[in-house]
Amino acid sequence: MFEKVLVANRGEIAVRIIRACKEMNIRTVAVYSELDVNSMHVQMADEAICIGKGPSSESYLRIDRLISAAEITDVDAIHPGYGFLSENAHFADVCESCNIRFIGPSSRAMNALENKATSRDLAKRANVPCPPGSDGIVETQEDALATAKRIGYPVMIKAIAGGGGRGMRAAHNDISLLKGYQTARIEAEKAFGNAGVYIEKYIEDPHHIEFQILGDSKGNLIHLGERDCSIQRRNQKLVEETPSPLIEGRFKDLRKKMGKAALRIAEMAHYTNAGTVEFIVDSQGNFYFLEVNKRIQVEHPVTEEVTGVDLVRQQILIAMGEPLRISQSDLVFKGHAIECRINAEDPFDDFRPCPGRIDMYYAPGGRGVRIESHAYTGYVIPPAYDSMIGKLITYGKDRREAMDKMNRALSEYLISPIKTTIPFEQAILQDPNFRRGVYSTNFVEQLLGGARRELIEDKA
Amino acid sequence: MDLREIKAIIDLMKKNSILEFELEQQDFKIRMRRGANGGPATGHNEDGGGAMPAITNQGAPNSASSGATNPPAALPATGEAEIKSPMIGTFYRAPSPESANYIEVGAEVNPDTIVCIIEAMKVMNEIKAEVRGVITQALVDNAKPVEFGQPMFKIRPL
Repeated sequence: MFEKVLVANRGEIAVRIIRACKEMNIRTVAVYSELDVNSMHVQMADEAICIGKGPSSESYLRIDRLISAAEITDVDAIHPGYGFLSENAHFADVCESCNIRFIGPSSRAMNALENKATSRDLAKRANVPCPPGSDGIVETQEDALATAKRIGYPVMIKAIAGGGGRGMRAAHNDISLLKGYQTARIEAEKAFGNAGVYIEKYIEDPHHIEFQILGDSKGNLIHLGERDCSIQRRNQKLVEETPSPLIEGRFKDLRKKMGKAALRIAEMAHYTNAGTVEFIVDSQGNFYFLEVNKRIQVEHPVTEEVTGVDLVRQQILIAMGEPLRISQSDLVFKGHAIECRINAEDPFDDFRPCPGRIDMYYAPGGRGVRIESHAYTGYVIPPAYDSMIGKLITYGKDRREAMDKMNRALSEYLISPIKTTIPFEQAILQDPNFRRGVYSTNFVEQLLGGARRELIEDKA
Repeated sequence: MDLREIKAIIDLMKKNSILEFELEQQDFKIRMRRGANGGPATGHNEDGGGAMPAITNQGAPNSASSGATNPPAALPATGEAEIKSPMIGTFYRAPSPESANYIEVGAEVNPDTIVCIIEAMKVMNEIKAEVRGVITQALVDNAKPVEFGQPMFKIRPL
C-alpha cells in the first residue's frame, strides 16, 4: 500500500491523479514551477514543493529536482501523468534505483517500444499489420525515393522520435518527397534531438482508432475497448469518443480483431500498467499499427465512462503490485461517451493561444456531464505550457444522447474573457456529418476549409 | 552561579558591547550570546534551539573566555535581500554535525562565501552567498527540507 505519492505533472491531469489518490487514502505531494504557484493541483495536494522556474526544462523536466522533492517528502511512488517524463525510461530507472515506485510501464517495456521504428518491428513480429513503409530509418535521399516508388504515393515522412502529432510531412511526388525529406530531418533534429525519419504509406481518409490496455506485473493483460480520435486539428486531438462510429456502424468485428492485435503487441513488449495502442483504419476496414503510447492518455475518461473502470486507480493498484481483478470477459461496454478538449485558443484567429486571467468560470453540470479541469475564477493561465485548460465529457445510453448532452453542456460552459475552442466544438457537434458518425482525420480541415467564418459564427 | 550573578554578567555584556561570553567552571559551563540588535540571538546554535543561554553541567577546569567584538550597528529591516535556495533538498548550517556553522548572524559574506549545504540524493552541495553583505537572519532550521526558491537567509547587501 502506498502511503504517499508525488505527482510529477501539472494542470488537469495532476488534479485527476490527486483525486484518485485521495479516494484511496493516499497522501499526495504536488510539485510546481514558480509560474504555477496558484495552480489548482498545488492547492489540492497535501504537500507542495516548488521545483524551479517557469520553463518546463527548469522544473517539470528536471529529474534531479523531482527525485529530491520525492526524497524530502519521503514518498513511496511517483505518478508521471502524461507528456513531460511519463515515457522517459531513464526517469523510470532513476526512480526505481532510488526506491521510488514509478506508476507506469516498466523501463523494459518502454525500451521495447522506444521509438516508432522499434515499435513497428515489434508489431511485425506480433503479426500486426503496419502501414506499408520503409524498414526503419531512411538514411539517404535515394532510399527515400526507392521506398516511395515501392509503396506508391502519397506517402508520409515521419520523425522516429516524434510524438503528439509533431514531426510529420506528406509528399505526393518525387519533388515534394525530396524537399520534405530534407526539411523533416532538420525539424526532427531541432525538435527531438534525433534527425531519423521513416516513410509510410499515407492512408487517405483514415480513422484514428486506439485501444486502451492495462497490464499487471504478473503478465495479465486486458484491453478496454477503442477510442475514435479522428477529430484532430494539425494532428492534435480535439474530440474523442467511444465506441467508434466507424466500428459500430460498419465494421463491428474489428473491435475483437483489433483488440487482439493490441494485446499481442502488449504481450510481446511485456507491457505493464496503462497504455494505448494506436491504429489507423481505412474506409475498407483495413487497420494498421501506428504506435504505442506508454502512459495514461488525455482522453482516458471516455473509456472510464463506458467501462466503469477507474484507469488512474488501476494504474496505482498495479504499481503497488496488485494483480488485475478485471478479466477480459468481465468487461462490459455500456453506453456512449464523448470528450471535448477545452483549449485556451481563439478559433476565430487561427487558434492563437490566449493565456491570461479567467475572470468568470462556470462549468456545466447535470446528469451525464463530467469536467476534468484545473481552471477556476481568478486563475491566471500561464503562457509557458500547453493551452488545454480542461476536458468536457458527456455520457449517454447511446451516441445520440451523448451528443445532445454535449451540445447542452458546451452551451452552458462559461469561461470569460479568455477565448476558448468551445464555439468550434459546438460547430463540430452540430455538423451533419459528425452527427451521422461519418468523419475521418480530414474532418476538421474540411470544416475549416469551407465557408469557415460563417459556419462557426452561426453556431456560436 | 546564581541568577543574580548571571544577570550581572548580562548587564556587563550590554554595557561593554560584548557579543559572546563563555565560562567554564568545575561543574558548570555557561555560554551566552547577544543578538546583533541587543535582543536574544535569533541564530541557531549547536543545541538546535534558537535563544540563549545554553547552560550545561560539565566537569571542566576553570576557564573563562569572552568574545569581545564590536556588535554591528542595529540593522534596519529595510534594504534587506534574501538568499534563496537554488535547489530542493535538506538544509545544513555546517559541513558536518561536529563542525561549527559556516556562518552566523552578523557575519559579513562575499559572493564566494559558503553559507550552507543543501543535501540532495546523498550529494552535499555547498551553496554560496552570491552577494556581498551582512547576514541578518537565518530563516531555516538545521536539517530541515527546503524547496526551490525558498528564502534561507536574510542579508543586508553592502
